[in-house]
Amino acid sequence: MSLGNAWVVLPNPAAAAGLARGARGLADEVNAVVVGADAALPGADLTVAVPAPPVGALAEGYAASIAELLQARGAQIVLLGADVSSRLLAGLVAARLGTSALTVQGVAVEGDGLVVSRTAYAGLATTTERPAGSPAVLVVAPGVLPAQEEAGAGRVEHVDMAPAPEPLRVVEVRPKAGEPVNLAAATRVVGVGRGFADEADLRLARELAAALGAELACSRPLAEGLGWLPTERYVGVSGATIRPDLYLAVGVSGQVQHMVGVNQAKVIVAINKDKNAPVFGQADLGVVGDLYDVLPALTNALAR
Amino acid sequence: MKVVACLKAAPEAEDIGTRPDRTLDLDKAAWKIGTYDLNTIEAARVLADETGGVAVGLSVGGPALASSKLRKDALSRGLDEFVVVSDEALADLDTFQTACVLRDALAGIDGVDLVLVGAGSSDVYAQQVGNELGALLGVATLNGVNKVTPAGDHLVVERPLEDAVQVIEVGLPAVLSLTSGINTPRIPGMRDVLAAGKRPTTEVSGLSAPAPSTDRTSLLAVEQVERAHRVVDGDTADVVAQLVDYLNSVGGAR
Repeated sequence: MSLGNAWVVLPNPAAAAGLARGARGLADEVNAVVVGADAALPGADLTVAVPAPPVGALAEGYAASIAELLQARGAQIVLLGADVSSRLLAGLVAARLGTSALTVQGVAVEGDGLVVSRTAYAGLATTTERPAGSPAVLVVAPGVLPAQEEAGAGRVEHVDMAPAPEPLRVVEVRPKAGEPVNLAAATRVVGVGRGFADEADLRLARELAAALGAELACSRPLAEGLGWLPTERYVGVSGATIRPDLYLAVGVSGQVQHMVGVNQAKVIVAINKDKNAPVFGQADLGVVGDLYDVLPALTNALAR
Repeated sequence: MKVVACLKAAPEAEDIGTRPDRTLDLDKAAWKIGTYDLNTIEAARVLADETGGVAVGLSVGGPALASSKLRKDALSRGLDEFVVVSDEALADLDTFQTACVLRDALAGIDGVDLVLVGAGSSDVYAQQVGNELGALLGVATLNGVNKVTPAGDHLVVERPLEDAVQVIEVGLPAVLSLTSGINTPRIPGMRDVLAAGKRPTTEVSGLSAPAPSTDRTSLLAVEQVERAHRVVDGDTADVVAQLVDYLNSVGGAR
């Protein structure tokens, strides 16, 4: 089953570019509005190319014009990515269309309408919901919609829009410091928590991660608060959600807000000196022990 | 500067039980101001202090907001006053409904310069109320804001994207959604708790929400991955040997 049309909206050509291929599974006709596009979006039948915003303006300033365009063209499903700019654009467009931007974990067509699944209660629960009006505005993270083969008709239409005169001015864009982190792609992840007494002690976790060929992740206090690790390494409700083959939790107590980010891992191993730590209730193997003893010994054993 | 911090109460996730049929047991879960909303209160307090202004809390929700403990807790974290819109009909609103009621409630607060919203609610974490509220108000709107600095009649904010950080001048009034890492919320001391009892809470009634954006057909606990729940304890060399065996058996070691 599929609906008549879906519209993918991208604030820049790089944002969630795979969405059009995913949208094909929901609708017969896949169109796109792409700010700053100079070519057809792969997978789309029609790409409405909007000029890149003038220097100092944000693509999000096109929200009102994009909402108008979507309404005029009879959009049934509107899809945006989960990156920061796309999320803002989603809310700005949705509100102008009189609806909520729905962050979805799953989306399908059933009967004559959409069914979406969404997270509730800090990730403990999932809801199933049917969008009540048209269009439905969905925020879709990578991987939610399986990509379809179909290339799309590839037509391009240039539409001139001017961003709304907003009291916002981008005065500087600076590259992000630090090494790039891609937790989502890692098959093994070592997660660290408050069991580490000092920032320098994270060396023990780094050495273990290196021996395992794993990425390093952390719970919220280490990234936000202590600031020992960059926020990109933070797993949990307001951080990353990952599904590695192995998650090795070290000195992590196992609070709901952290564990919802990893509870779909294939195998969870926990090392904690508190035998009553909630993390053991969610682990395949729990090691009751002091990480300061266990980690060096484990790293040694693995390196042998 | 008059700063309004938008806050949402949610049941404490640690205390939500799940039944075998995957329905949820909320009976033991106390309702609290959202985890990420504590950053919002802190940011509002700091900005109010920097500009000689006031920090006002604003919350829309169901009967849980009637709790004096919850109100006092919010006030003790740095609010000068708290505006509460609590109604049975306003429980469990979606983001657009919430944004509409917040807009109407803000119309009743004089001279608002800045509206702050947290990174996301601690239950649904949809991250959209601020964005939708800004659109409804027709004012400057940003999400993902990690730093706010007052600069005369405007603000300078930092907004980290996936690969870069934008520095943006924002004219007022504005609606800013913050990151959960923008600051470290203060822990209220005895003096804050006592002072909170003397600060005013204003009840607003008569506000209503539009129809919801979706019809919910089910709400169920997430299906848990089956875990082996094996626990090893004792001598370090011994547990490490077992750990290495286990990692080899699941293909986790290389």
